[in-house]
Order: sequence, then C-alpha cells, then structure tokens
Amino acid sequence: MFDAILEQIINGTMMGSIYVLVGLGLVLIYGVMHVLNFAHGMMFMLGGYMAYTAFAHVTGDYGSAVLLSMLSLMAIGAVLERLVFKPLRGNLRNQVIASLALVLLIQNSVIAIWGPTGIQFKLSATEILVPIGGLRFSLQHILVIVVTFACMGVLFVFLKFTKFGTALRATSQNNEAATVVGINTQRMYWVSFAIGSALAALGGALIGPLFLVFPQMGDLPLVKALAGILLGGMGSIPGAVIGGLLIGITEALATLAIATDYRDAVTFVVIILILLFRPQGLFGVRVRGEA
Amino acid sequence: MKTRRTFLGLLAGATATALAVSSPSAAETLTIGIVSATTGPLAAPGKFQLNGFKLAAEEVNAKGGVAVGGKTYKVELKIYDTHCNAAAGASAMQRLASVDKVPVVLGELCSSVAAAEAPIAKDFKLPLILTVPTGPSLTRGGNPYLFRVNSHAALLNKGLAAFIAKNGWSPISYIAWNNDAGRGGVRTLGAQLPKNIKNAYTGYFNVGEVDFSSHISNIRAKKAKAVVLLMDEEPGSLAIKQIRSAGLNIQLIGTLAMGSNRFLKRLDKKTIAGMVQYSAFPPKADVLRIKNFSARYEKKYGEEAHGFAAQSYDGLMIALAAMKNGGTVTDKSRIREELAKIDYTGVMGKIRFDKNGQASPPVYITEWCADGTRKILAPKDAVAGCGKG
Repeated sequence: MFDAILEQIINGTMMGSIYVLVGLGLVLIYGVMHVLNFAHGMMFMLGGYMAYTAFAHVTGDYGSAVLLSMLSLMAIGAVLERLVFKPLRGNLRNQVIASLALVLLIQNSVIAIWGPTGIQFKLSATEILVPIGGLRFSLQHILVIVVTFACMGVLFVFLKFTKFGTALRATSQNNEAATVVGINTQRMYWVSFAIGSALAALGGALIGPLFLVFPQMGDLPLVKALAGILLGGMGSIPGAVIGGLLIGITEALATLAIATDYRDAVTFVVIILILLFRPQGLFGVRVRGEA
Repeated sequence: MKTRRTFLGLLAGATATALAVSSPSAAETLTIGIVSATTGPLAAPGKFQLNGFKLAAEEVNAKGGVAVGGKTYKVELKIYDTHCNAAAGASAMQRLASVDKVPVVLGELCSSVAAAEAPIAKDFKLPLILTVPTGPSLTRGGNPYLFRVNSHAALLNKGLAAFIAKNGWSPISYIAWNNDAGRGGVRTLGAQLPKNIKNAYTGYFNVGEVDFSSHISNIRAKKAKAVVLLMDEEPGSLAIKQIRSAGLNIQLIGTLAMGSNRFLKRLDKKTIAGMVQYSAFPPKADVLRIKNFSARYEKKYGEEAHGFAAQSYDGLMIALAAMKNGGTVTDKSRIREELAKIDYTGVMGKIRFDKNGQASPPVYITEWCADGTRKILAPKDAVAGCGKG
C-alpha cells in the first residue's frame, strides 16, 4: 500500500504541476484584467502542438522546441488581447463570450491543420525510466515537476523584485491608481496575456510527450486549474500554486480508496468543504461587501 | 419541301430519343443519410466509419451507379455530424427524415446517440442501419426499422471470454471508457467469464482523459494477472505505454481497435508482443474478400483498412442491395422488409439479420507476434500464423 500511496503522490504532484502552470496564467490575466479567459485551455493545447511541430520539423531539440512554443504563444496571447479583448474592455460579459468563441475557433482550426487524431510526441525523456523506491517513473514525469517548480520561482522573483513585475502587481491591485503613478496599464494587459499564454504553452509542451497532443488536451487542465484557483483564492498566485497541487494530489490519492470515475467528485467535494469554511479560498483576501 | 420538313422532323425526333436513351441515368441521384462524429473527441474513429461509406459509394458510382427498378442512380451521401451527442443525433435524424427525405440512414458511432435516433427512425418508418455502436440493448428494443451490421459487445466478447478462461488469467482487471461502449464491454465480458475468473479491479475514464496512472496503481496493488483495455486505439496505446513505463508486467487484452498497424506505429513490437484482442476484421487475413477490401482501402486512403470502415462499407452495400431487391428507392417500408430478409456476403462475411435486426458477422481473436505482425487464434476455422491476422 505504501508503494501505491507514494506512486500516487508523485503522479498527483505531476498532474498538479500542470494545473499550476495553467492556473498561474489564468490568475495573472484575471488579476490584471478581471476577466476569466475560457480560451486559456486552448493556449495550453496550442503549446503542445507548437512544441511538437518545432521539435519534429524545425529544431529537433526538445529544449528549444519548448522555448519556441512559449515564444509563439506569447505572441498569439498578445495578439488575442489586442484584437479580441481590448475592443471589448469594459464589457465583462462580452469578453467571456468572446473567450468561449475563441475555444471553438482555435480547436476547430487545430483540427483543420493537424487533423482530429492525437499526435504522439515521441521523446527519449519518456523512454528513460527513473527508479524511486520499488517504482519507476519516466524522466519526463520528473521534468514536469522540476520545470514547474523552477518556473514558479522565476515568476515569484519577476513579480516581487523587478520593476515590471511590480507594475504588473500594481495594475492588478488598483488599475486607476497604477495609471496615476505613470504605469502604462494598456501595456500591462497584453503583457499579462502574453506571460499567461506562455505559461500555458509550457504546460502543454511538457505534458505532450508524456501523453498525447490532441485538440481537446486543454479542456480538463482548464477545469482543474479553475478549481485550483478557486480553492487557493481568486487572484492569489500562491493560492493558484497550492490549489493546483492540492487538486492534483487529492484526485490521485482518492482513486486508491474509491472508484476512479468518482475521482472528480471527491475533488470537488473537498473544494466545497474548504470553501464552506473559507469562502475566499485558502489564500484569498476577503473584500468588504463580498460573502 | 414537305419531304424535307418531314425528314428534318424525323431527324430531330431521333436525336432527342437517342439523347434520352444514352443519358437518362446521369441525372438520377439516390441520396443516403449518414450520421457520424466528424468533429469532437471521437472524430478519429468517425473518420474510419465515413471512409467505409465513401469507398462504397465511390465504387458503386465508378461502375455507373446502382440499378433499381429499371433506373440507374448515382449514390450521394448526405452526412451529418452528430459529434457523439444524443441531441445532435436526434436532430440530424429528424432532418434526414423530414427535410432531406432520404430512404435509409446509416452510421452512428455511439450507442447512446443511436438510442436517441432509433425512435425517430421508427416514427418516420425510416430504416436506420447501424455500423459501429456495440451497446447490446439497442437491437433488443423491438424496433422493426433498426438494423445493426456489426456485432454487439456480448457477441464480440464471447470468444474473448472463452479465451481468458482457457488461459486462466485470474484475477482480471479492466480499464474502460466511461460510456456505453466501455461499461457495456465490462458488463458483457464479465457476465460471460466463468466464476473462477475473479475481478480484481475495474476503472473507468472519460473520453479525452489521458492519464492512466491511478488505474495502474490500483491494478498493481490488486495483483491482477491481465488487464482488458476497452477503448479506442488512441487511449489504448497511451494506456499501454504508461503500463509498461510503470514497470507493470501484465497480460494485455484489447479491442478490435488495437489489432492494426496504425496501433503498432503508436507503440513498438516489443511493447505489444503477446497482446491479444478481439477483431471483427483482421486486415491481413488470408481470406479473399478481406484481402481485396484491404487492398482497395489501402490504395484509396494510404493506410491499413479499419474494421469500422469494413462494417460501414458492408452497411451501405446492404442498403443498396435491399433497394435493388425491393425495386424502390422511395418506399421505406418495402426497403425495411427487404433488409429484414437480406442474405448478403460482404467484406465482413455472411450478413443476415435476426428478428431483432441484429447481424452476427464472424469475430476473431488475434495476437501480436514478436515480429510486429498478427496471428489469428480463434475461431478454429480461421486460425492463421504470424503475418496473417
């Protein structure tokens, strides 16, 4: 039983890391623009496709393929912000509808370009096995966890100690006050979109070789990441990290006790219970006038 | 002058008659309704189903069309995407019956969608021929307008259950799709296994899920001897990859989707050597009808033939044969009667419908050999060595 628990903790941390990468992007965009971007899962999926295409047809090297994927998604994110979200700024409902429309548009475009069948992203890191106790995990498993934690560290330093990160946080805290002190908030909008999309792309590029690259690969991580940021507290970056990891590990461990098809139910029951006692989430701040 | 006018009149009449005789059939089109998933998570298996229909229509048209009641018709397919959604399926069926007014509908990929379409077929007295769904209850509802060319889950699993029992693979475990195909498969296979074959673990996953680690942990903890993978080739290859990466050395048992070179391409011969699966269409079998179809399919689509395509090809040919036998492309009741008594040898083998509209084409058990080819283990009369499965 110990082996099974250890195996599930590692598996859960790996999946949780993916939810964290998606969740961090969502939180950045939500924090700055106060809009839930439902097309964020598509950025994750595009990240997988871009990394695969760069790896198979351009670089032949996984590291640079991941980097290319992140850069291209940064550009796509910035363009989407300019073309879709900027004209709708001030109308939250239309922004949400636009993000849902983007889901359909991007997903079907991907099917038209790469086809409906999942693509196998064959990488040697998935063949190399790392023994942990009596268990074996692919190197890619470990890579997902390590890269995500490294990324969290970089993001923390960027937001906390750089001028740009401080400006981003200021815009997130009070848009008008940020404008008054001379921050170009319009720039912050597309920067948050670009960074968020790049993080999602990293998630897709990391998970692609482990599983498959397919048009619907972003759907589930988006739902789980949303649940993670709700659990951690809307708008909170540490909350998105802890929330995502908690969801990943809880759902993995739950399957040892109950049927796997109830896995999501257990996760959401845990979320409901936590939110009953802390409606603002684990790291969220209670705002006057809100429940 | 009069003679000249008469001559010209006769010439014009003769020309008109000649034209009418030489090209009457080109203008006649027979539209057949098709329902399948062309987008969404099941678009990949839907493609194989459509490939079968398209190949059949193309071959019929290449021979000049189908002759029914003294007229020749070109076959045209009116395809609706139901994306494996019951509401979309019901809506498409309604449209085919009332707007497109087709004489027969074929297809569907998912049993739950077929269950929504079947009552509409009955209401409009419109024959619906299923070519892929495996839910056993579909052809037990007493719907005279519903026919199924392919074997349902209980028929598919019959031979497999006997094979598992013979090998004593107990306790057994399952990873299955959380839908009618997966749950139906677990239920029907479990029901046909003898009592000495214990069930160690059953895990379901939703379409689109790709992480099988929870199932693997459970299977390892429960010490199962074999795992039955009731899913399509895409998740199947992924599950096997993860099973082997986790160091779980267990007998693999798959479905018809896992007996193809496409599947081998996703993995490698070492990983799947010894894996067994049921198959409705072993594409490399040394049987003339199978060999011919495989060659034609491969020529057109550039890949190995798929069971769903073979079933769908036969489905369309059976529909045309029923219309031919009945001498009508409009009388749906007559077409239904002809379908009920059809006796047709297609790519799949002999197809005859029982009183519930269910056909029982042959089901094979194949095994992956170490050299990356397949052999047929059952039924006895079809047993063949590596490279012939």
